[in-house]
Amino acid sequence: MRVRVTNGRVFDPASGWVDAARDVLIADGRIVADDLPQPGETVYDAAGGVVMAGGIDLHSHIAGGKVNLGRLLMSEDRRAHPEPFGDFCGCGGGRALPTAHATGCLYSQMGYTAVFEPAMLGANARHAHLEMADIPNIDTGGYLVLGNDDAFLQLLAQGEGQDALNDYVAWMIKATQSCAVKLVNPGGISAFKFNGRSLDLDEEGPYYGLTPRRILGALQQAVTELGLPHPIHLHGCNLGVPGNIDTTLATIAAAEGFALHLAHVQFHAYGQEGDRRFSSGAAALAAAVNAHPHVSVDVGQVMFGQTVTASADLMAQYRNHRHASPGKWAGMDIECDAACGVVPFRYRDTSFVHGLQWAIGLELFLLIDDPWRVFLTTDHPNGAPFTTYPHLIRLLMDKPFRDAHLARLGPAVRAHTGLGEIRREYTLEEIAIVTRAAPARALGLADRGHLAPGGVGDLVVYAEDSDREAMFAAPRLVLKNGREVVRDGAIVALQAGSTFAAAPPCDPQMDARMARWFDEAIGLKAKHFRIADHEIRGGRGPIRLECRP
Amino acid sequence: MTEPAAIDDTTEGAAGAATRRLTDLACGFCGLGCDDLEVAVTGRAVRPRTACPEAAVLLRRGPGPPPGPRVEGREVPLAQAVSAAARHLAASRAAVFSGLGTDVDGLRGLADLAVRFGASLDHAGSEGLFRNLDTLQRTGWIAATLAELRTRCDVLVVIGADPRRAYGRFFERAVPPEALFTDDRTMVFLGSGPEAATRDQLAGHRLIEVPVVPGFLGEALAGLEAFLRGRGAAEFAGALDGALGADLAELAELLRAARYAVFVWDAADLPAPQAEEVVHRAAAIVAQLNRAGRAAVFPLGGRDNVVGANQVMLWRFGHPLRTLVDGRASRHAPDLYATAVALRDADLLLHADSFRPRPPPAFSAGPVIALAHPATEFAREPEVFIPVGTPGVDHAGTVFRMDGIVCLPLEKLRDAGLPRLADVAAAIRAEDGA
Repeated sequence: MRVRVTNGRVFDPASGWVDAARDVLIADGRIVADDLPQPGETVYDAAGGVVMAGGIDLHSHIAGGKVNLGRLLMSEDRRAHPEPFGDFCGCGGGRALPTAHATGCLYSQMGYTAVFEPAMLGANARHAHLEMADIPNIDTGGYLVLGNDDAFLQLLAQGEGQDALNDYVAWMIKATQSCAVKLVNPGGISAFKFNGRSLDLDEEGPYYGLTPRRILGALQQAVTELGLPHPIHLHGCNLGVPGNIDTTLATIAAAEGFALHLAHVQFHAYGQEGDRRFSSGAAALAAAVNAHPHVSVDVGQVMFGQTVTASADLMAQYRNHRHASPGKWAGMDIECDAACGVVPFRYRDTSFVHGLQWAIGLELFLLIDDPWRVFLTTDHPNGAPFTTYPHLIRLLMDKPFRDAHLARLGPAVRAHTGLGEIRREYTLEEIAIVTRAAPARALGLADRGHLAPGGVGDLVVYAEDSDREAMFAAPRLVLKNGREVVRDGAIVALQAGSTFAAAPPCDPQMDARMARWFDEAIGLKAKHFRIADHEIRGGRGPIRLECRP
Repeated sequence: MTEPAAIDDTTEGAAGAATRRLTDLACGFCGLGCDDLEVAVTGRAVRPRTACPEAAVLLRRGPGPPPGPRVEGREVPLAQAVSAAARHLAASRAAVFSGLGTDVDGLRGLADLAVRFGASLDHAGSEGLFRNLDTLQRTGWIAATLAELRTRCDVLVVIGADPRRAYGRFFERAVPPEALFTDDRTMVFLGSGPEAATRDQLAGHRLIEVPVVPGFLGEALAGLEAFLRGRGAAEFAGALDGALGADLAELAELLRAARYAVFVWDAADLPAPQAEEVVHRAAAIVAQLNRAGRAAVFPLGGRDNVVGANQVMLWRFGHPLRTLVDGRASRHAPDLYATAVALRDADLLLHADSFRPRPPPAFSAGPVIALAHPATEFAREPEVFIPVGTPGVDHAGTVFRMDGIVCLPLEKLRDAGLPRLADVAAAIRAEDGA
């Protein structure tokens, strides 16, 4: 089956095509070199439209235990957002935590074709994969949370060599069918189980006596030596704490030449200047990112309104639970692996702190020079639901629009941010970078995020509109694997997605070692922890990401 | 005897058939998620060799063939039973799906059927779950999974009756003699006390009994909370002046000094009028303890994958069990869609249970479709009976452990020609013209 998208303005920065007048030709789901038109090929006329590869979100909490716990706890979200009108397809509803089906539909309606769950706990990985299998129209993958798992902390504290640490990481990635390694408050989640209430980068945690710096360093080396495509994806120490900018800058310095991805940096860019002891650290953080070419970030933009925060960082969520709105929250210590905390949250534009959080996120987007190292996220649902992306895109692309929103915030917020002085507006090329080309490259997805021959036929046509929010909210056309799934902003077809996973090699002796660990400590057989290929996406198995040690 | 043990069983399998020993099997029956079971399989016969009494009964299978599908009591080919089920469902205006004892794929199939035909969904074992949700959804709590309990818990408080009868291997699994992060454990029984076997099993741990009659558990926990908040027994109008008050005050001190206290209860087994209050108080005590130290709840439950059923409902519909899916939208109303209540206005009952031969609830206002265990005995013959395989016996499947975090893969042990509930549901849904 051949599909031709013609007459559009192509924005494919990965291939060097920016505002290029060219056809995109897809044969049997893959992009092929342009060729003379053939009878029988389907032609989409993209005249007046902007053509991009399918969007890729590399940090969005869409599946697994904390997401489902959030759905259970925050029934208000579900009641406020019922099923859409029209023929019922069993999709359910919700906004901060939509059902699996609605997650696929809502992402796909914005032109996204791949989304990654950034905090999959080993013990809960099978559950996360079960949910991902039920998400239509988008490809998925999960990042394995390490760095608070007792098995690893024990190995590190005992002084095991790097080879053993690498074997452990490789075993865990393969066992859980993950595609990257996530660190969440390294050592801090474990510390909270021993009643530690905070843990800074160079502080020794209870029981193991390990500093977050040491844990981070060992796992960075493991990920590098195993050749995983994505570097350590780090949710650092002291999330949300005023003054945490110092920790974040020290963490960047600690990366020591290793590639490092800092997640939701907006929550890690707080100073404590001013009479309210809460200020923007965005300029300092942006300068550090600009100066360290091996560091990438996603922003975790805050948007005003009701949401739910869901995180493996129970230490931070315990701290935050007094701000819960509505006033309820749930936490869980999980299986010698990590934890989770779910806290409903309402960001108010009348709040100084929330207003400044909003401004700090935008400052980061606008002050970090290289769009290839900053990715568009709200840390869904923690900063805001992902459905706010079109609004966020307009804030980035349209200074008068941004200024109008800034003007609605209180004078104290405006006095504490330099946002009003920033003239930069994102171009369509830059939007194409931060929403598809850059995340694809960061994750090692060679055939995504671009429209060159060999790429998958994930393509979006947005109707050109000076209202960028309207433009990105409802694409004219979305193709997934070359087949139409969205037309004029509405779902027209459902397709099963795929799940990415890596399988770095590991010493077979690790099997016996892990069997012993699971028997003695966990009370579960290692063989039941391991997830088989046939358990992924209803028996179709994962798409293997290549590791390059 | 509730320990896993080699079961002396000399029953012969089918003549000539080779016997296979299968080890390290995961179990989906009570929700505790034991995964060290062992069986011997000869042809269609399954003989448990290492299993708790409940699992032993539910795993055992004879060598004979299972019954075939029936419509109006007559044996028919599967396709004909599937057509009949689809016709009944298509004619129904108020269907109730009950039982829901099945693996994740079976639950997905039932959810799809509900979307196609409209139905309310509830699980046969959801009573305890909803007593817990009353607190979890209103205030939340801090919980722990089984491995955290095993490795960390130094004070375990069991509220109510000894859970041994319902969860035979709980203490063996949750508080083994050796633990990673604690050298000594104290077991507190707040309620009716441990059974003799439990007492023997916990011999290595310090044991404290705080006797409380079942109807007074809520007040006792309120008293404990008051002591933990530094208030005296005075506000309880003399009710806590005696031995109970002294015990609770002492328990409060023990909990204050605990490194990781865990509160356990079986909500299904708590006395009805105050079950919700007991859960609420326990969660509040844990919240109070977490202000200065660490503590967690560990609610028992999860029989026949009820936790998995609730999880699937949440990611499919965004609602817990006891939800109506009516063709345009889904609506959650626990008071209306609990099986017993929903049946009052129902015109069809679809009873799905692949784990145990549990008969459907009494219902006479319309047809009954039973996608059920082959050994189910019916008080009245259902209009449609399709015997289905048991996950972990007749086919592979996935179930959730009671903590809601760990999912376990169940293995296929034998081939008796019984279909998966998921496949039967898919066939009914695909039926033309239904």
